[in-house]
Amino acid sequence: MKCELCHKAEAETAIRKVVDGEEQELYVCRTCAKADVEEGKPRTETAPSSSDDVSPLSALPLMGMILDAAFEIVGRAAATQAEPSCPVCGITRAEYRKASRLGCPACYEAFANELDGAILDMHRSRQHVGKVPAKAHAARRRQQLVDELDAAVKGQRYEEAIALRDRLRKLDESGDRTEAGGPA
Amino acid sequence: MILKFDPRASSRQTGNVPDDEIAMSCRVRLARNLSGERFPDWATERDRDRVFAKVCEALRAEAPRLRVESLAACDELERDILCEAHLISKDLVERAAGGGVAYAEDGSVCVMINEEDHLRIQGFAPGCGMEAAWRAADALDTQLERHLDYAWTPRLGYLTACPSNVGTGLRASAMVHLLGLRLLDEVEAVVRGLERMRLLVRGIGGEGSEAAGQIYQVSNMDTLGVDEAGIVGRVSRIVAEVVRQERNARIRLVRETPLVLIDCLARSLSILQNARLLATSEALEFLSALRLGASVGLVTRLKVADVDKLIVLMQPGHLQRIEGADLDSDARDEMRATMLRRKVAAVRLKV
Repeated sequence: MKCELCHKAEAETAIRKVVDGEEQELYVCRTCAKADVEEGKPRTETAPSSSDDVSPLSALPLMGMILDAAFEIVGRAAATQAEPSCPVCGITRAEYRKASRLGCPACYEAFANELDGAILDMHRSRQHVGKVPAKAHAARRRQQLVDELDAAVKGQRYEEAIALRDRLRKLDESGDRTEAGGPA
Repeated sequence: MILKFDPRASSRQTGNVPDDEIAMSCRVRLARNLSGERFPDWATERDRDRVFAKVCEALRAEAPRLRVESLAACDELERDILCEAHLISKDLVERAAGGGVAYAEDGSVCVMINEEDHLRIQGFAPGCGMEAAWRAADALDTQLERHLDYAWTPRLGYLTACPSNVGTGLRASAMVHLLGLRLLDEVEAVVRGLERMRLLVRGIGGEGSEAAGQIYQVSNMDTLGVDEAGIVGRVSRIVAEVVRQERNARIRLVRETPLVLIDCLARSLSILQNARLLATSEALEFLSALRLGASVGLVTRLKVADVDKLIVLMQPGHLQRIEGADLDSDARDEMRATMLRRKVAAVRLKV
């Protein structure tokens, strides 16, 4: 998402700003966020802050450094919390909630935290038990054999491990065309 | 009023109303999406065109018998006709750009392309033949997946644009005509019961539509955590029970409150035989009554199958195709009334 103030850089954090007499939440880039903070604080030329002999102007770079550091810690976290989005299609949480439709298959991973509960509410289940595409079936079967082989080696059940290894080799050589889930 | 009709004399009233006169048709659809592609709602026109091309390629290789149409290339009338034949949804008609349909000429299977999901593979069957509808859709799905990389994970199954379809992506639905239960004021209780059993109950036009003509679409709500055979079997069993209840309602209507039934039939037939203007929804209400009358043997010279044909033919798209011209709403209402007047002119009540 682009910064809502300069419309050039990527937005990284959210600020609250009064626009036309109305307070709004804006997603902005680092530069605009910094500018906003500096705009809001008292003018250094007219506001000597202490009796220290340090010039008020010399505090500006320091303020910048503090802002940068704070930005790294808080700003990114705030931006993430404010508007999580899918790294593949770029759809934000607010957008998919509004449309009730996800943007792409990767959204299931990107919004997993909140989708998990919603899916359980909708279907009273979190686990698919139906059809497996032939391609995925072969991969899943191979992974199952690898896991079993691993367990057999760890348990020092070597005869079983050899048998599993041979089955794996055979599977890799021939490929697996087994399908599942269709009508009997 | 002396009834000439003797309810006990009708073989129909003994409970012989065939299932397919109550469960009109059924459909099983499978929602599928391509891995790495945006879902249609968020896709650009170019994205949708690319998906359309990939699906067409798979269809050409595996199901060349299917006729493929790009909706953008169809005129409005062709789209309406496909929609009225329940091959495509209103949703797909509205999307048009990048949307498409592939269908068997015999109406047994159909694939909607770039509707809410990239593919919606549908199998159809008359009456309660849900198993046959599933077999048809599943076979086509298995063929297409040889050429397409479906978005699928071991935990969530087939990934869909709306999480309400995730898992099997399977929606098994039956269209049931429940006018008997309506006339006995029992339809609401049946609908509530179905909803308590986690079934969706909608009108004839699918999501968000009214149950015009007391034709309801009953389908499963859950698509995750239960396999395809389980869903199809459960919906079939429940629909069979609804059919049994409607059949009982029709028997009770004939035996216990024949006047209510005959009054409904007489009013409907009078209007259909005399009206000069008829909107689709009101025509459907009256045809629905005649359908029930034909089913219980109270209407002569009209079969249930004839009414089912009229229900399709009197839709706006089909009417315009018959007329061979674009008609505005008023002209269509006039033409609908004229057509139905002619078709039911010889129909009489057996009372």
